[in-house]
Amino acid sequence: MTENLVRASTGGPPPVAGPPRRTVGRRPGRPRPGIGARLRAGRWSYLYLMPFVLLVGAFTLYPIGASLVYTLFQWNGVGSPDHYVGLANFRQVVHDGVFWRSFGHTFLYAAVVVPVQLALALVLAVVLNNKRLRFSTFYRSVFFLPAVMSPAIIAVIFQLLLSNFGDSINTRLIRAHVIDHQVDWLGDPHSVMWVVIGIGIWNTLGYNLVYFLAGLQSIPEELYEAASLDGAGAWSKFWHVTLPGLREVGLMILFLAVLGSLQVFDLVQVLTGGGPYYASSVVNTYIYQQAFGGGLSAGGAGITVQPNVGFASAAAFFYGLILMVITVAQALLLRRVRASRNAARGVREGD
Amino acid sequence: MSATDPSRTLLTRRGLLRSAAVLGGAATLGGALSACSSSSGSGGGTTLTHWDFYDSQEPWVKNELALFGKAHPEIHVRRTKNAQAGYDNLFNLAERSGRTPDTFFLTKQTVPINQQVQKGWLLPLDKYATAEWVRTFPAYSFVEGLNVFDGKIYSAPFVGSGPPNQLFVNNKVFRDAGLTNADGSVQVPRTWDDMSRAADAIVRRSGGRTYGLGFGNGSTNLFAWWFDVLIRGAGSPGGSTGLDLRVGKYTYGTDRNYADLTNLIMEWKKKDYFYPNSLSVSDEIARAYFERGKFGMTVGGVWNEAEWTAHGFTDYSVTTLVGPDETHKAYFYRTPGSALMGINARTKHPDAAWQWFSWWHSKAAAVRWVQKYREDLSAHPEANASDAIRFKPFAEYVALQDLSLPGPQPWIRNPAASGVVVAPVQPDLGAFVAGVYSGQIKDISGALTSLGERSQSALDAGIKDGQKRGLKISAADWVFADWDPTKPYKWDIPEYPK
Repeated sequence: MTENLVRASTGGPPPVAGPPRRTVGRRPGRPRPGIGARLRAGRWSYLYLMPFVLLVGAFTLYPIGASLVYTLFQWNGVGSPDHYVGLANFRQVVHDGVFWRSFGHTFLYAAVVVPVQLALALVLAVVLNNKRLRFSTFYRSVFFLPAVMSPAIIAVIFQLLLSNFGDSINTRLIRAHVIDHQVDWLGDPHSVMWVVIGIGIWNTLGYNLVYFLAGLQSIPEELYEAASLDGAGAWSKFWHVTLPGLREVGLMILFLAVLGSLQVFDLVQVLTGGGPYYASSVVNTYIYQQAFGGGLSAGGAGITVQPNVGFASAAAFFYGLILMVITVAQALLLRRVRASRNAARGVREGD
Repeated sequence: MSATDPSRTLLTRRGLLRSAAVLGGAATLGGALSACSSSSGSGGGTTLTHWDFYDSQEPWVKNELALFGKAHPEIHVRRTKNAQAGYDNLFNLAERSGRTPDTFFLTKQTVPINQQVQKGWLLPLDKYATAEWVRTFPAYSFVEGLNVFDGKIYSAPFVGSGPPNQLFVNNKVFRDAGLTNADGSVQVPRTWDDMSRAADAIVRRSGGRTYGLGFGNGSTNLFAWWFDVLIRGAGSPGGSTGLDLRVGKYTYGTDRNYADLTNLIMEWKKKDYFYPNSLSVSDEIARAYFERGKFGMTVGGVWNEAEWTAHGFTDYSVTTLVGPDETHKAYFYRTPGSALMGINARTKHPDAAWQWFSWWHSKAAAVRWVQKYREDLSAHPEANASDAIRFKPFAEYVALQDLSLPGPQPWIRNPAASGVVVAPVQPDLGAFVAGVYSGQIKDISGALTSLGERSQSALDAGIKDGQKRGLKISAADWVFADWDPTKPYKWDIPEYPK
C-alpha cells in the first residue's frame, strides 16, 4: 500500500514485474508435477497452516454452518434441535419491528461514528505528525489509550459516571445552568443513543489515528518541499498533497471503520443492554438477547418460556447477509475508485 | 540460524513438533488424571461432587457442609458454586460430556425436570424415600408431573412459598418525612393512595433531596415486580403474567387495573417522586441507594435482606399486596410441591448422595435456613414460625406467607399440559412499562391490548403445537371457571404419593 502511495504521489510508472515466483519443482519444458508431489513439497507450509485452519474451522466455519441449520428450528440451545419450523424464523425476523428498530440504531451509530471519528482522527493525525510538536509520542499514547481498553470496561466506567453518580453530576450541571432538570442520560431515549455514539467515537478513535499517522508518514517529504517551493500554503498542501496521498489508505480505513461500527455490541450490551425499551438496541445486542436471555416471565402460569437460539440464528444470518452486501458494495466502490485513478493516471502519462 | 543450513532448520522443526507432542501428551494426561479424580474416594472415604448456585445463601450452605462433615466423616462433599445465569448451559454441557456431579441443582428453563427424567439424568429415589421420610414434608409436597414421575420420586421441595416480591420502606426516611403513627412506628403504606401521600411527603419535606420511590431497572427488567406487588390486590390474579386462569386469557388489555396502575406509575414519575436515574441504575445500586436513604420505598425480594443485614442496615419495614384499597381481591398463588435438587442417575455413590440429599432437605437444616440464617421460607412449615424470629424485617416477611394461597395449575388437572412450550413474547410487560416510563409509548391502552393479544397468540400456538405432537390438551385446560381468587384452591390430587 505504501509503495502504491509513493507511486501514486510521484506519478511514476508502476513496477513492471516483481521478483520471479518460485514454482515448486517446475522447470521449463517439464510437465507440471501432480498434486501429491506439490503437497509433499509444501508439507511444512501446510503443517504450519494447520493450527490456523483447525481453529478457523472449529470456531468460525463450523458455527456458521451449524447456525444455518439452527435457523430452521425453534430451539433453546440445549440438546439437539428437533422442532422444525422451516423458514418461519426468517419471516418473524423480517416482520419484527424491534429488529428493524435495532437495525436503524446500528446504522445511525455507523453513520455518525464513522465520519466524525475519521475527521477527528485525520485532524489529530496531521497535528501529531508535525515534527515540531513536542511530546507528540505522549499525545499519541494518550489518544490511543482508550482503544486498548475493553469496550466492556469503558461501558462500566461510563455507567458509573452517568447513572450511579449521575444525579450528583446533574446537580452540579443544574447549578452551573448547563441543564435545568435531572437527566437520566442512559435512561432517556432522547439522549441514550447519542451517549453511546459519543463513547464509541472516543473509544476507537485511536485506531484510526494510528492508521492515518502511518499513511501520513508514507507520503514523501519531497512532495511537501516541492509544494512549498511552488508557494503552496498549509491548507493548499493539505488539500493537494496530504489528502491525495491518503486516498488509498483512507478508503481502507473507511472500509474497516464502517464494518467495525456495524458490529458494535459489547459497549451497548454493558452500558445500556439496549434500553430503555430498545432505545439503544443494536442488531448484535438484539441477537444476543434473543439467544441467551430475556423472555416473558411465566411464574405461576404453568408455562415454560424458553430462549430461542433458532430465531437468533436467523436474525444473525439475515444481518450477516446485509453486511455482506454492504461489504461487497464497498469493495466494488474501492475497486472502481482505483480503476478510475489508474485510468486518469494513464491519461496523464499518455499526454 | 543460517537460512542455508537445511539440516538445522529440519532439526528445529522436529524439535518443535516433539515439544508440542510432549506438551500435548502432558496436557491430555493431566486432563485424564483430573477426570479420574473427580469422583474418587479420598482417605478411604467417599467424595461426592455437588453443584448449586446459592450465592447469598452461601453461609447456610457452608454451615450445612461443616455439620454434615462432622456427622458423616466418611463422606466428603466437594461443592462447586456456579453462577445462576449460566447454570443451565453449564449443566447441559457437563451432561453431554458425562461429567455431571453426584448431586446438583436442577436446571429450570432449558431442560425441565420431566425431560431430565425422560433422558435418564436423575436417580429415582424410591429406594431411599420411604413413606416415613415423605411424611416429614407437608401434604402436596410430592406431586406427579412435578417431582414424581410414573410414581417414582426424583426430587423434593426445599424453599417455602411466600410472596416473591415485597414493598420495602426505609423507616428513617419515613420518620424524617413525619410519616409515623402515634406510637412512633412508621406508617407502612397499605394502598396506592398511601404510597402517593408518603412519596409526596418525602419529596416535600426533604426539599427534593430525597425521593419517595426508586428502583434499578438497568440490569434487571423489574417493572414486573412492581406489578406483582401492586396489581394483585386490585383483583388481577394473573399479576405480572397477565394470564387470568378463571378465563384462560391474557387480560392486559381487558382488565382496567393494568392501565390504571400504569397511569399511576406515570403520575408518580411526573410528580418527580421517583429517583431520576431509576431506569438506568442496576438493582444492586438501587438497593444501596435505598439503604442510604436516597428514596423511601422500593420493591424487591427477600434476597435484599441478606445484603442489607451484612451492611448493618436493619431499619426498614416490609409489606406486599398494596392495592387501590385495603381489601385484597387477589393474592399470590403457589403450586403444590417443588423441586430443587437431584441425584445423578450415574453416580457411583448413591447411598452417600442420598445421605447428603436427605440432610439438605431435613427439618433441622430447614430450621437453620429460616431461623438462624434468615435465607427464606422453608418447605417445612415448622421452620417458618415468625414469632421465633427476632429480626423484625425478616419476621415481617415470614408473616406475609399467608398472602400466598394455593392456586390452580393446568398441569395438575392435566399433566400433559406441562409439555406445552410457549415462545417468548417480546416486548413483555416489563419492557412495555419501561417504554411508557421513558415516554416512548403514548398509547397505553393500545399497547396493553397488543401485549395481551401477542401473549394469547403465543399460548394458543404452544397449545396447537402440543396437540400436533400428540399431547392430549386443549385451551380448556387453562380455564378454571369456578376458581375464587380470594380463597385457597383445592387441588384434586392425593396429599401424598401412594
